[in-house]
Amino acid sequence: MNKNGEIAIEAREMDVYYAHFRAVKGINIKFPTRKITALIGPSGCGKSTVLRSFNRMNDLVLVARVQGEVLYRGNNIYGKDVDPVEIRRRIGMVFQKPNPFAKSIYENVAWGARINGYKGNMDELVESSLRQAALWDEVKDKLSQSGYSLSGGQQQRLCIARTIAVKPEIILMDEPTSALDPVATLRIEELIQELKQNYTIIIVTHNMQQAARASDYTAFFNMDEDRAGYLVEYNATNMLFTNPQNEMTEQYITGRFG
Amino acid sequence: MAVQQLETGYPEAEALQRQISQRHRRGLRWRWLFQLSTIVGIVALLALLYNILNQSFGLVAVQNTVDPRVLLEGAKTAVLPGADTAETLADLPKETLVAILAEHISTGLGRRLERDQRFFADQFAFEDPALFAEVCAGAEPPAGCTLEPRDQNNVYELLLERVVAPDVVQSWSLVDSVFRRGAIEEQLRTDYPTAVLEFRSWITADFIVSPQSSTPEFAGVRTAILGSLWVVVITIVFSFPVGVGAAIYLEEYATDNRLNRLIQTNISNLAGVPSIIYGMLGLAIFVRAMETFTSGAALGVITDDTTANGRTILSAGLTLGLLILPLIIINAQEAIRAVPRSLRQAGFALGATQWQTIWHHVLPSAMPGILTGTILAISRAIGETAPLVVVGASTFITLDPSGPFSKFTTLPIQIYQWTARPQAEFRNIAAAAIVVLLILLLSLNATAVVMRNRYATKTA
Amino acid sequence: MTRHVLERELRQLQDEILRLGSEVEENLGVAVEALRRRDMVRARQLIQADEWINQRRIQIGMRGLSLIATQQPFASDMRQIAAMIEIAGELERIHDYVKGIAKINLQIDEVYYLEPLIALYPQMAVKTQEMLRGALDAFVNRDAVLARQIPAADDVVDDLYKSAYRVIVRYAAQTPTAVEMANQIEWAGHNLERSADRVINICEWIIYMVTGVFAELDSEYETPPLTM
Repeated sequence: MNKNGEIAIEAREMDVYYAHFRAVKGINIKFPTRKITALIGPSGCGKSTVLRSFNRMNDLVLVARVQGEVLYRGNNIYGKDVDPVEIRRRIGMVFQKPNPFAKSIYENVAWGARINGYKGNMDELVESSLRQAALWDEVKDKLSQSGYSLSGGQQQRLCIARTIAVKPEIILMDEPTSALDPVATLRIEELIQELKQNYTIIIVTHNMQQAARASDYTAFFNMDEDRAGYLVEYNATNMLFTNPQNEMTEQYITGRFG
Repeated sequence: MAVQQLETGYPEAEALQRQISQRHRRGLRWRWLFQLSTIVGIVALLALLYNILNQSFGLVAVQNTVDPRVLLEGAKTAVLPGADTAETLADLPKETLVAILAEHISTGLGRRLERDQRFFADQFAFEDPALFAEVCAGAEPPAGCTLEPRDQNNVYELLLERVVAPDVVQSWSLVDSVFRRGAIEEQLRTDYPTAVLEFRSWITADFIVSPQSSTPEFAGVRTAILGSLWVVVITIVFSFPVGVGAAIYLEEYATDNRLNRLIQTNISNLAGVPSIIYGMLGLAIFVRAMETFTSGAALGVITDDTTANGRTILSAGLTLGLLILPLIIINAQEAIRAVPRSLRQAGFALGATQWQTIWHHVLPSAMPGILTGTILAISRAIGETAPLVVVGASTFITLDPSGPFSKFTTLPIQIYQWTARPQAEFRNIAAAAIVVLLILLLSLNATAVVMRNRYATKTA
Repeated sequence: MTRHVLERELRQLQDEILRLGSEVEENLGVAVEALRRRDMVRARQLIQADEWINQRRIQIGMRGLSLIATQQPFASDMRQIAAMIEIAGELERIHDYVKGIAKINLQIDEVYYLEPLIALYPQMAVKTQEMLRGALDAFVNRDAVLARQIPAADDVVDDLYKSAYRVIVRYAAQTPTAVEMANQIEWAGHNLERSADRVINICEWIIYMVTGVFAELDSEYETPPLTM
């Protein structure tokens, strides 16, 4: 797949443990640059765990441990001298529920830039980020209002805007529309298609239609009898959804289990 | 609703109605029970208020040691200047008032009064001029050496206090004063024919600004209020940052190991330790062990080494700080824990460090909750008596506290002492002091609530 | 996802296809038989039946589309529905050929030389019917192997058609007054030959439905030489 395309991030023989429980085993996967890759699979298959391994968000769970390698720009992000703070600035994340800060819309976007020492024109950065997140026209007259004053879908786009503001290369999205209504969901999906031009996007979703609609590649995860998640099938989205090669994928996407 | 009778396994028709109304009745009984508990609480609160207010206001029988009219007559007889035209004592000129005063008080008291503040600029009423000059030249000249002489009003009040000396011979509660007026007047005529019946509010502006005194009529709570405020300030300054800091550490940094669990359990248990134990702790640590520090000696701020010891506002504040520290920690922990994880994750995901996330997002979101907990804890500190008694609050002090190294008393201690006095009037001023304490507590709480709400609306 | 609804619908759709298929198969034989016997009543019935077949095909298509809209099927479910819609279309077109044969029956005159010219048509019809039955079997049993074997029979149909073609052309060459008629009769044979090709299309869809891969099962069909 995507033979001539670059690889944005790659996992090699990655295992994730929570204390003694192996949540994810033997993940080998490459994510092509400037493409949307969807991770799907039944609940508990470890797809969110895999996603969180790519910007070391698992570090926040004290008992979590990652083995194997995650290569970003040729370096293992779990290497000894790698600071997760830098990784997270380059690999941003959007979460399941919109979680704007208890600050103004402007500050929501500007904060990340400020703590990361952004030297340029802050107003311009805020505007361009909000524009990229397709939110500017809706909020340009109320930048000083609280982020909470927005609707759920707007809040999620605000969260995307603040992620864009720190200029990451990769944006990880953990079920970004699961708390939104269908219209807001479609807007986010459209937005993701736009963002693809500049960012590599990896999105976890348990909405198969969304994965089918919005992604270029789809990876299907499942768990074995020890409840350890593993990668079952990874293919171009149109291939995976019309003619899955693995029986388990077929059963999952046709709703026979999961 | 007459529905077709089907065998559903559930009551239908009339049986259904009966069953439903029975369920409603059962719910109603519980509702009454809960209402009753609320009423009990309200009644208890009202009883407390009634008790306090009943004592704070009421009729008093005032009997002067020397009748002012007698004094006026005496002045007229002695043909003192201005006496012939005066209708009351207050009308008399200063010289005449001083003369009457000189006649009725001892020379010793007169000298002391004159050293506090002279009566005339050009002459002495009690003091020997040579001696006065010598005292004034001494190491510690009294206030009278430099102050302007007393005016007529000042002397008049001295006369009232020292000579006329109105004394409350009996006081009645508010309810008695209103409903048994006749009986009270009757009793007054038989018991104290010379006394005058007057309605008195024991809470007055004077009561609040006057220092402690051994006569209830002149006693006030200024020293106690200032003492309470000083102690509370020290308590807040100590326990708020320490408590919130500990809470941040335990919630955000501490790993889940045996030691931290032990610490956590102990903090929870400490919140339930009786306050007197904290008093013992404060006595041992702050008053005794750290005396050089808590007395101010280490910082060289005290003037009199002989009376300086660790029984200071600082010790008291720190002791109360220790007392409410577990409360503040536990409350702050809960407030911090209530901040959604998603907010922290959002911070981290943007490349923030842990401290940036805590400082910019976790703390502001937790602050309303932390403040609420702190308000409750401080209210408890303001009302505490036992540990302060152990730490050594002064029982009788007329000097305003001037800083963390002063001797002190606090409102609850003042109240406690006054209730223990034999004279009935002390009970009245104790009640008045309780009202002051309540108002102080309420206003502190109100300030904090306003602060918290402002914070909450700003961040939300 | 409620597979219950989806499965029930798929089953019903499959039954519809089978009914449609067996009717088309039967009518194919009937059309040739009616041509041979010059049975105008039967021919008219077939033309009427085509209207009904068209309706049923549209119904199957609509049901399939609404299943896609409401159940959002993926993978084999999706392929089944797509295949069934396509198969229904192919069946309908086969029946168009059946109707074409019936129309030719109505148009041609009572001529004495008809019998030898259409002598091979019943055989072609039987072979095509066999292919169609086989395809429907493969469809029901999701049998890709069988579906792959069926196109071989098309060669037989093609050969028969070529033989019939040669007979007709020769006759037309000898009898210039019969050219118009011969052309009509030849067209009926062409319809039969095309029907067999449509069965191959059905087989292709069955293979796609089962394996997810679309295979071109081209027969050796060539355009008959246009030698007059």
